[in-house]
Amino acid sequence: MKACHLRILILSGILSMACTTKVSEWVLLNSEANNYILVYYHKDPVVEVVKRQNEEIGREIGSANIQFRTIVRKDIEKPYYALIYRNRLFSTYNSYAELKNLSVSPLREKIASELMSGMLCVMLYLKTGDPEKDEPALEIIKGTVAASPYREVLSVRELDRNSTDEKHFVSMLLNVESDLKEINEPMLFGVFARFKALEPLLAKGISAENINLMIDFLTADCSCLIKDNLPGTDILFTNNWENPLPALVNRILDENPALLHH
Amino acid sequence: MGQDTLEYRSLDDRPLPRWLTDQRDGLNQYQPEILEMKEDKSLTLSFIGTGAVIILVVAVLTVYVLRNRKSRY
Repeated sequence: MKACHLRILILSGILSMACTTKVSEWVLLNSEANNYILVYYHKDPVVEVVKRQNEEIGREIGSANIQFRTIVRKDIEKPYYALIYRNRLFSTYNSYAELKNLSVSPLREKIASELMSGMLCVMLYLKTGDPEKDEPALEIIKGTVAASPYREVLSVRELDRNSTDEKHFVSMLLNVESDLKEINEPMLFGVFARFKALEPLLAKGISAENINLMIDFLTADCSCLIKDNLPGTDILFTNNWENPLPALVNRILDENPALLHH
Repeated sequence: MGQDTLEYRSLDDRPLPRWLTDQRDGLNQYQPEILEMKEDKSLTLSFIGTGAVIILVVAVLTVYVLRNRKSRY
């Protein structure tokens, strides 16, 4: 076989693979998480204690998708920290202590390990704390996932909106859209790839039809339309996203070709 | 997929996420090319071209034959 024929064969193989990779798998393998910026705003010269604290913060968040900066600002009364994502202010913190566990938490670790193990998506259910609101939607989620052919590669996790251990995570989720903080309703976030949270389904929007559309979105062949304009917000997390296990959804699709959709 | 929330009156009116409506409406997929009928002039051009070639060949042969005849007599 001539060298040019071999090249054409390899190139067509790569192209055919690129077109059949599922959205969730392609994003996990190829799309870097967007960085947050943590800014320390101060008016006066930084004292030694704060310098050490800021160095400590730098070390803690070193391998997370975040950069740390110090900025002098004359129009402020007292120094503070601000967490910014793509020009949107997510939170402000008055002290170093408030930043504890900014980029790690137990639930985020669990979710990341599930994503790295080849799961299609983690359905993260953010509860209000009011069982009358939370329970009906949870039943719908569990019932829909149990009836889905992809149930083995879907995970449902619950998170209380008032959780103190996960306060930073909750805050980031409630910043996925600008109005979520004011809406005291249960919300369902599809978390996939390198901790990307889709804009949530909430209240009556948590329906079997919409949950199945979420699954369809993640199991569809990755088109350039999706790649170029990827929805969702990256959650801040310290993790090494190298070498995830192969996507488990491919086995389900191989065994059930009727599920394939483009 | 600009995702930020639009203004709405009540929670029931709150728009669904764009990724979801696009998925529902099939907009995340490649859209098939819309084929439009265009006026096809190729046959007419083909006839004109063929006719022109025939006329040219006949004219050339006529001139050639007439010249040969004249030179014989």
